[in-house]
Amino acid sequence: MVKFTAEELRKIMDLKNNIRNMSVIAHVDHGKSTLTDSLVAAAGIIAQEVAGDVRMTDTRADEAERGITIKSTGISLYYEMTEESLKNYKGERRGNEYLINLIDSPGHVDFSSEVTAALRITDGALVVVDCVEGVCVQTETVLRQALGERIRPVLTVNKMDRCFLELQVDGEEAYQTFQRVIENANVIMATYEDPLLGDVQVYPEKGTVAFSAGLHGWAFTLTNFAKMYASKFGVDESKMMERLWGENFFDPATKKWTSKNTGTATCKRGFVQFCYEPIKQIINTCMNDQKDKLWPMLQKLGVTMKSDEKDLMGKALMKRVMQTWLPASTALLEMMVFHLPSPAKAQKYRVENLYEGPMDDQYATAIRNCDPEGPLMLYVSKMIPASDKGRFYAFGRVFSGKVSTGLKVRIMGPNYVPGEKKDLYVKSVQRTVIWMGKKQETVEDVPCGNTVAMVGLDQFITKNATLTNEKEVDAHPIRAMKFSVSPVVRVAVQCKVASDLPKLVEGLKRLAKSDPMVVCTIEESGEHIIAGAGELHLEICLKDLQEDFMGGAEIIKSDPVVSFRETVLEKSCRVVMSKSPNKHNRLYMEARPMEEGLAEAIDDGRIGPRDDPKVRSKLLSEEFGWDKDLAKKIWCFGPETTGPNMVVDMCKGVQYLNEIKDSVVAGFQWASKEGALAEENMRGICFEVCDVVLHADAIHRGGGQVIPTARRVIYASQLTAKPRLLEPVYLVEIQAPEQALGGIYSVLNQKRGHVFEEMQRPGTPLYNIKAYLPVIESFGFSSTLRAATSGQAFPQSVFDHWDMMSSDPLESGSQAAQLVADIRKRKGLKEQMTPLSEYEDKL
Amino acid sequence: MDLEESYDVERTVDFIRGRGFWKVALQFPDELLKDAVGVVRSLRRRLSSSGCAHGRGGGDDVKLFIMADTTYGSCCIDEVAAQHVCADCVVHYGHTCLSPPATLPAYFVLGKAPLNKANCANSLLSCAASSEKPVLVLYGLEYAYAMTDVERATSGSMAKFSHFLCSSLDPLETVDVAGGTTGDGDIRTKMGNRYIIGGLVWTLPEGQKMEDYLLYWIGSSNAAFQNVVLTFNGCDIVRYDATEDCVVSDFSQQRRILKRRYFLVEKAKDANIVGILVGTLGVAGYLHMINQMKELVRRAGKKVYTLAMGRPNAAKLANFPECDVFIYVSCAQTALLDSKEFLAPVITPFEAMLAFTRGSEWTGEYVMEFRDLINSLPDEVKHHPESEEARFSFLKGGYVEDRHPSGDADDENDRALALASTTQKALQLHDTVPNSLAKSTTAKSSAEYFAARSYRGLDVNSHSSSPEAFTVGRSGRAAGYDDEKH
Repeated sequence: MVKFTAEELRKIMDLKNNIRNMSVIAHVDHGKSTLTDSLVAAAGIIAQEVAGDVRMTDTRADEAERGITIKSTGISLYYEMTEESLKNYKGERRGNEYLINLIDSPGHVDFSSEVTAALRITDGALVVVDCVEGVCVQTETVLRQALGERIRPVLTVNKMDRCFLELQVDGEEAYQTFQRVIENANVIMATYEDPLLGDVQVYPEKGTVAFSAGLHGWAFTLTNFAKMYASKFGVDESKMMERLWGENFFDPATKKWTSKNTGTATCKRGFVQFCYEPIKQIINTCMNDQKDKLWPMLQKLGVTMKSDEKDLMGKALMKRVMQTWLPASTALLEMMVFHLPSPAKAQKYRVENLYEGPMDDQYATAIRNCDPEGPLMLYVSKMIPASDKGRFYAFGRVFSGKVSTGLKVRIMGPNYVPGEKKDLYVKSVQRTVIWMGKKQETVEDVPCGNTVAMVGLDQFITKNATLTNEKEVDAHPIRAMKFSVSPVVRVAVQCKVASDLPKLVEGLKRLAKSDPMVVCTIEESGEHIIAGAGELHLEICLKDLQEDFMGGAEIIKSDPVVSFRETVLEKSCRVVMSKSPNKHNRLYMEARPMEEGLAEAIDDGRIGPRDDPKVRSKLLSEEFGWDKDLAKKIWCFGPETTGPNMVVDMCKGVQYLNEIKDSVVAGFQWASKEGALAEENMRGICFEVCDVVLHADAIHRGGGQVIPTARRVIYASQLTAKPRLLEPVYLVEIQAPEQALGGIYSVLNQKRGHVFEEMQRPGTPLYNIKAYLPVIESFGFSSTLRAATSGQAFPQSVFDHWDMMSSDPLESGSQAAQLVADIRKRKGLKEQMTPLSEYEDKL
Repeated sequence: MDLEESYDVERTVDFIRGRGFWKVALQFPDELLKDAVGVVRSLRRRLSSSGCAHGRGGGDDVKLFIMADTTYGSCCIDEVAAQHVCADCVVHYGHTCLSPPATLPAYFVLGKAPLNKANCANSLLSCAASSEKPVLVLYGLEYAYAMTDVERATSGSMAKFSHFLCSSLDPLETVDVAGGTTGDGDIRTKMGNRYIIGGLVWTLPEGQKMEDYLLYWIGSSNAAFQNVVLTFNGCDIVRYDATEDCVVSDFSQQRRILKRRYFLVEKAKDANIVGILVGTLGVAGYLHMINQMKELVRRAGKKVYTLAMGRPNAAKLANFPECDVFIYVSCAQTALLDSKEFLAPVITPFEAMLAFTRGSEWTGEYVMEFRDLINSLPDEVKHHPESEEARFSFLKGGYVEDRHPSGDADDENDRALALASTTQKALQLHDTVPNSLAKSTTAKSSAEYFAARSYRGLDVNSHSSSPEAFTVGRSGRAAGYDDEKH
């Protein structure tokens, strides 16, 4: 019994003020998918009775099995508001019909790239927080991300049923818990406030906080109760709402509101008196099967039950009653309609974040106005595997214009540079599709402000792209997404049967598409590498690869491998010199570690090759204490011309120096990609060219002479500057009760981790522990931890920084030397490092 | 062994006399150069005596020239050097790849490396006994002289292994292949069931594949062996090392090479500018191959340059930093050039075919002899619907664009003007950001690359027209100039 049709949906898509694009975000296991079900139920796709049990948006078998969401899933919902409920709505609208494009996203940190992709194409976020566990690590991460994308949040305090059934807390205590949860969330939101987005904090009395029990399918905002009581007290709804939260107390004996608890037995906080207690009463009555008491109460509330429902008992009865009284969909959808922005509203302030080009060109204007008649601007945020094997839907959001079946579009990939032909394709959209839960409906076209899936573009888009009309050659692309996690864990895969190689290649290609974060590359040694954010992420990727993308062909995977970086600890102990192959040219160089924070600044793009030299030299001299003139003498960054290493010219009055600059740069790009220790990337090294002696005849100082020499002298200066390895380190956050702390500490110690913060969550017996853990030690960490704490501790790890390993890789037998030997062996290099004497020449 | 025997002087003389050559070039590899004088002396002696027999006067009528320091690999005939003296034929000494020469007849003196025949035969027998597959014996040509003995010594076991094939090669047979063949496909590695590799010939019974055999290699782990390992990479291989007198069966290193080659192919796919290195001027069909490679690269929409630089080394290759990959057209045994020192990878024509042909997949098959590739350029008209998919680069982990949607002609035009337009752009940029570190995007031709360089030769904008002051230059040797010795 589907309540709406694709035609109805398509009709509302034109009403840009009646659309809400929102994502559901939260910490893992706080009930996003379950809550989403309740909303979907209201749209009539699944039966109300099973809402809470189906997890409509977990479309994969392994998602259902593990009970976690892995991929974000979009659903378009049609919802008709009553005239009555909309009477207080001040914003623009046309009619009472609303289209809600909802995206359920995973909560596990390993999949947070999915959240990033979801946020990009939505304007609002429903932040789900477990009322008992409160604001957790991932809640904070996703909130930060959301606000970074200028996504307006609303909050729902979820799992209310635990308060009533499991914990049986009394009203005042529950209020305090909720209050704290909301406060914590507000603290985070205030930190990342953005003037254009305005006040993003949430307030129950303003209706931006809901209280829900996703599992049982009910929820309310204070609006629900305010409506109920407003007439009774003879005040207007907004006044009533204020009374239902905060320091407002009511004494039924005196029928008076006070701002302090008067101390009498009957005086209770407004929220407790009018919201919490009635719910508690109903629930208790249902659970005890006191039906004789129940029916009159329900009648008073205006709730009528169907006759067959009246036979239900206990929990089933309770669920049904609550769903009828306070349906989750009504409360939540109302909250979204009222408090989340429509695309028309949101794109006004999001355009700056989205568009890379000038803010006054026609594309920026069209996005800002959400103009369906404007040029097409569409961002593809992810690729969704289609049911016919090997093909993908390109899923994204139309920011301006219309995309239609058969339209020829310009596809601008992530490496597209306006005015050039690189990473640019022109193709036709074969079909435009909208998503309705597990099934898709084809529509003729999709106007701006909506999410859309497209068929026929998958052979040109790896992960994301910007689409415009064919003729819009001067459009700039929409800004690339910035992920909060990085792919630091890698495995090498190969097929068991050599002739399956083409299958593997095809499979890896598809895998790379299906996940925003995973990176499929090939090593110098010829091994295929899959890189992911964490162990769980990789596990899922490998499973997908083998089962879905390779048709079950057998693959062999290596143990997880971590990539390292090479750096230096001190300035080179002497100026080193290398001679060119013809012995006629000499390069003198020194290496030194970069100032603290400089490598990160380069990573973040604050300092880079494309900066204006004046701005760069100002930044370098002010923040990192560089000499102003020196800052102008940076030759290049590397590897890949943007990496966190550089070459600086310190020469004085050298002839022909400008002539060999390109060759030195080429040698540096090469050397910084493959350091002298184990051919890992270099990081945080500044190479200073001290002096250069060149042959007077240009033919004898060409690239052939200088490039290999530059590489050798760079290696020599690295080796004389106390080279060190950098290893990647996770920031691990663990939440656990006090009795599990011992186990956590011992596991962390054993894995070279160290705790730097331990905090008790106010009002709970739970502790929040933050620790650093080397990524290389993290394999099997989750399971070890679970075993050591009898399943009470659940870690979330995310790559945080590079940490220098203190041991000297040049000293044989040290830990770093062992690591270097292992890496070299894996890469098929000579196990012995090339000695300094091979790189440094003497006069 | 004395010089005459090990250098096959008698038969060499027969060859020269028999074919009536008057100018003979003797090609020695570096390691045999020390014997060159002795060999010439004894050849002279023999020639003069045989000359008398033939009724001609003295040995001076046949001119002998010693050639050393071969331009390309010393395993191939250096025809260009031989033509400098207008030689009629070349006598090649030492290790050879037996690639058919393009113009001159050649005689190969293989040399005779010591071999403990009894031990070799025994280890072969035990190997054959322990293997489930029939054994096929291959060997380094320096052991060819001893093979009849080894075959005889193991003949007792042969009855048990009906598929045991000794090499049926008579190296002298192939000598006459010289001259006439100009790469018309006569000497492919595989012709039906007949295989030829590095001078070894054998025929498999109908319906059997190479994978059904255990390869038994007698000799050292040299280029010839590597050639065999890569060409038959699906086979199990055992190597009997004659100098160490032991059996080696661990070839993870060789497998590794194969994987590494696979990586190089993937890397080559991303290349925009390709350099073709002329690695031989003697092997039959090389010119044809170079042209075929040019055509292949051009069809793939990339820019190609042909470079002749003798034997490539790191410094020579680095003189062409604009090339993203080099294709090395040479004989099979010098084809694999791989070094960490090279700025850009060097691949073989076969690998180039894989890399630059859309939709081709590597299934493990490997071809070293470029002759096997001649005329195998795929038809352009064959147009798969799949080939419309953008190309996925495993180095970049995403789709990269190869072909522009616009026509090729338009593109070609673009490129011709690339230098003009980029310099123009660069000049405009020059004014705004004088010290920009940003490298322009990857160049599509050498001209574009040049335009992107920060230094482009003489600075025409230099204002000072007065000559530089006279200064005293450096003196001393390159190893350390006088002013550097403190």
